[in-house]
Amino acid sequence: MKQKKTAIAIAVLLIAVSGGIYFYYGFLFKEARNIETETPDVSLTAAQLIEVYNSDPEKANSLYLNKTIELRGQVTKEADSVITLDKSVFCLFTKKIKKQLLNKNAVLKGKCIGYDELFQEIKLDQCTIIK
Amino acid sequence: MKKTFINFFVLLLITAVHTDCFGQKLITKTGSIKFQASMPSYEEVAAENKSVSAVLEQSTGDFAALVLIKGFRFKVALMEEHFNENYMESEKFSKATFKGKIEDFNVSEITNTAKNFTLKGDLTVHGKTKAVSVIVKVSKTASGVNAVGSFEVKPEDFDIEIPSVVSKKIADKIKIAYNFTLSK
Repeated sequence: MKQKKTAIAIAVLLIAVSGGIYFYYGFLFKEARNIETETPDVSLTAAQLIEVYNSDPEKANSLYLNKTIELRGQVTKEADSVITLDKSVFCLFTKKIKKQLLNKNAVLKGKCIGYDELFQEIKLDQCTIIK
Repeated sequence: MKKTFINFFVLLLITAVHTDCFGQKLITKTGSIKFQASMPSYEEVAAENKSVSAVLEQSTGDFAALVLIKGFRFKVALMEEHFNENYMESEKFSKATFKGKIEDFNVSEITNTAKNFTLKGDLTVHGKTKAVSVIVKVSKTASGVNAVGSFEVKPEDFDIEIPSVVSKKIADKIKIAYNFTLSK
């Protein structure tokens, strides 16, 4: 009888501890999003994204803000860690871009962080090249 | 007839030269803003944004900056979520902006060693605007200027409520450090 009780107590304790660890690392101290490993929520062309943002920025924000998006378009500018697609989509990379992509078509993935009114551009961060 | 033509030509030349001299804007799209709201002996409350846009009009010292709130990165996901959803409400207020002027700005005075200027203007965060005056250190770079500095803000100045449960873990004054490498 006593043995059974201790067994149950140990089982409960184990569950509580593992639950606690899960809560601690999986929830409280879960690492920030890593866009590179996320699958894109939507896939579209840079031109489509620009059009939605130009016609209705509010709606565009509700559709794409904070989402991981896959974007296709022509690279119109390339710097150290920045690629501009179709002249108005600014894509910031976490690492330096090694490929030469200027004037070529590219497919990339990133998190949409909003519309920049100073330069009239849509901004994406944590980008990675898919193709 | 010939004289009017020459006059016209000279006028054209003058306007061309003028626009060349005065239309010199220095820009960056990859400026950085870091903020620090940690309290001693509690977990670090800090984030960085590396995609800040800024424009400096060289001739007048007019300065504007825009930062997208969703671009702030924290180490911990939950903190980023709370920052966006509870405090900054970034779905509603997706950006913070600054519009102002660097006082007595003169490009020719800027050298490789940083010089202090006063930057005055309106800072808009969380949909609320407040006039600020900060010190900015400006130095020369190969293709433009570098502007760095830091200042402190209080969350309540921008209608950001910090619940009493967590107020111990978040500093009363939040330190904001910026770094803009502006070029043509």
